[in-house]
Amino acid sequence: MTEEAPAPQPATEDPTAAATERPLAVRLERVARRFGREQVLRGLSLRLPAGRIVALRGSNGSGKTTLLRLLATRLRPSSGRASVFGRDLVREAAAVRREVAYLAVHGGSYGTLTARENLRLACVLTGAPQDGVDAELARVGLSEHADRPVRVFSSGMKRRLGLARLALRDAALWLLDEPYASLDEEGRELVDDLLSRARARGRTVLIASHEPERLAGRIDASITIDRGVLLHGATE
Amino acid sequence: MTDLKALLAIAGKDFRSEARSRAATVATVFFSSVTLVILAFALGRDAELMRGAMPGALWVALAFSGVISAAQSWQGDLQEGALDQLLTLPFPRAALFLGKLLANWLSMTLLGALLLPVAVAFFGADVAAAAVPTLLVTIALGTLGFAVIATFYAALTANLQARESLLPVLMFPVVVPILLAAVRATEAAVGSGDIALARSWIELLAGFDLVYLVVTSAIFHVVVEE
Amino acid sequence: MTHAPSERRPAWLNVLAALAVLGLAAGAWTGLVTSPPDVNQGELIRIMYAHVSVAWISFLATGVAAIAGMIFLWRGARLADVVSVAAAEAALLFGALTIIGGMTYSRPTLNTFWTWDAKLTLTALMVALLVGVFVVRGLIDDPQRRGRVSAVILIVVLASLPLNYLAAEWFRTLHPAKAIDLTGGGVTMDPIMLQILLLNVVAAALIFGWLMAERIRIGLREARALEAREARERDREDEVVRVR
Repeated sequence: MTEEAPAPQPATEDPTAAATERPLAVRLERVARRFGREQVLRGLSLRLPAGRIVALRGSNGSGKTTLLRLLATRLRPSSGRASVFGRDLVREAAAVRREVAYLAVHGGSYGTLTARENLRLACVLTGAPQDGVDAELARVGLSEHADRPVRVFSSGMKRRLGLARLALRDAALWLLDEPYASLDEEGRELVDDLLSRARARGRTVLIASHEPERLAGRIDASITIDRGVLLHGATE
Repeated sequence: MTDLKALLAIAGKDFRSEARSRAATVATVFFSSVTLVILAFALGRDAELMRGAMPGALWVALAFSGVISAAQSWQGDLQEGALDQLLTLPFPRAALFLGKLLANWLSMTLLGALLLPVAVAFFGADVAAAAVPTLLVTIALGTLGFAVIATFYAALTANLQARESLLPVLMFPVVVPILLAAVRATEAAVGSGDIALARSWIELLAGFDLVYLVVTSAIFHVVVEE
Repeated sequence: MTHAPSERRPAWLNVLAALAVLGLAAGAWTGLVTSPPDVNQGELIRIMYAHVSVAWISFLATGVAAIAGMIFLWRGARLADVVSVAAAEAALLFGALTIIGGMTYSRPTLNTFWTWDAKLTLTALMVALLVGVFVVRGLIDDPQRRGRVSAVILIVVLASLPLNYLAAEWFRTLHPAKAIDLTGGGVTMDPIMLQILLLNVVAAALIFGWLMAERIRIGLREARALEAREARERDREDEVVRVR
């Protein structure tokens, strides 16, 4: 996939000028991650300002999910430093979690609990009020199923529940791993709606996705990972 | 305190899940009863021997089913990335451990309270009414220590995706002295009813429980890392 | 970071090895030949020197392993993990030797291979726990995670030592038979025997130190090789991708 890359930043650029524009949501410095014998991330350096909605592209196995999980504090970098809104990912992991919400490929809900109970649990653990639960359930079209255990849900329904949880949390940085996957058209519109809401609230969003066409027009930029390395430049 | 709320929410989730999948609870009760029956048959020749074996038999039954239910207690979390998602939420890892522990401990204590009269009946022990509170405290503290170790190591083996058979290998050397103290305390309370002796074993148990509780809570966050 | 010592064997290591071997010889000689037979236990007391010294070192090694693990948790330096593994291996070895010594003693005296003596039971439990540490280490590929999980288990092992000892003692005081009383009366040991015992302890400590040094050298070499491979597989370019 070719991109017309804006020229790589000249070395003489004044970093403080960029910093005063907007704070950095994500700052990666030579972040690498290894799993046993496999080097998945080979040294990523990234500056992502707050409020941007960015697509993360790359083929399967390129390291997209690993990067997202790293930012969600589920993984530690093998080397390099990473920070989210100025908080170090390793040393201040608890603080980072307050700012980050993660939508994984898996549903992320407890099958033995109902949809409503799952969202309520997330609220209690986040310290957020529970009033928004019913509204979000309605928004994703799960109101009639709110009191059914999640194990009977289809994968699309589980996805929608994940979207509801994400919206409820309303964190500063949203990490979405293949949000459109296993959703019907109605579900995909929910994702689009979610992105609009994020935009309206000034949230920062990083979306790993295989669907450039769907995202075009909704994102500010896209970056590409290829075999654990970020390719030159960010494109629009 | 929001940490306490988180703890109770986790415990509530686990309790609710267990209550809804009654199959697991039934299996545990059944399994521990069968263990008692087998032990009763094995030792059944001599009434005196049986009476003396009751405390050991009770705790063997509790320990075996305790290991199985501790391992199973983390299985629900591993499905559909539920625990994974949970761990991205901003709450202390210790609350996760203690919440799960609370649920496991309560079920084990209930099971113990249930098995006690069954064991007494099968093994022909005589229990003075005065000894019952002591016995219940012994069951509560013994299962607490056991549950602390079992819940901790079960999280470890679950997170490592190790074979389930690894759990008893890892945890039994730690848990053996706890079981020992529990058996001795039970033994002292039953029959002769030497409450003072039972109390000293109970104190040892409480000491074990406290130390392991503090240590495991402090280091639990490493176990759920990836 | 793991620095690169020269590839040649350092002189001090050979000196340490020589001292350890000398210590072993001296300890064995004094224990087997020079020491007078015990008033109560006769020639069997000779086992005591090896058994007790090895036992003490096994507990020391476990402590070192746990503390090195804690340092690894805190700092993440690979050296700490290497030291932890080396000490755990030594603890396992010395612990196994302790048990063999105990069994060698109890057979002729108590006519049984095993007795629930507090120290022996404690050692057996500790050895079982250490085996567990290695089993778990074998299941984890990632060195950082492996070191962290292993450190955490070692912390539990360390916590278990005083508790298990207490429990075993408690148990034994109520079942007083079959205790191993190798020191023939504890503190009131014949001064010559005490000296020989201390000599054996020093010898055991030297052997421990030597084994540790060798093992740590190997471990550091492995860690350096790993680091080199990782550095090769990382991207050499330092391109910063900035989203506007």
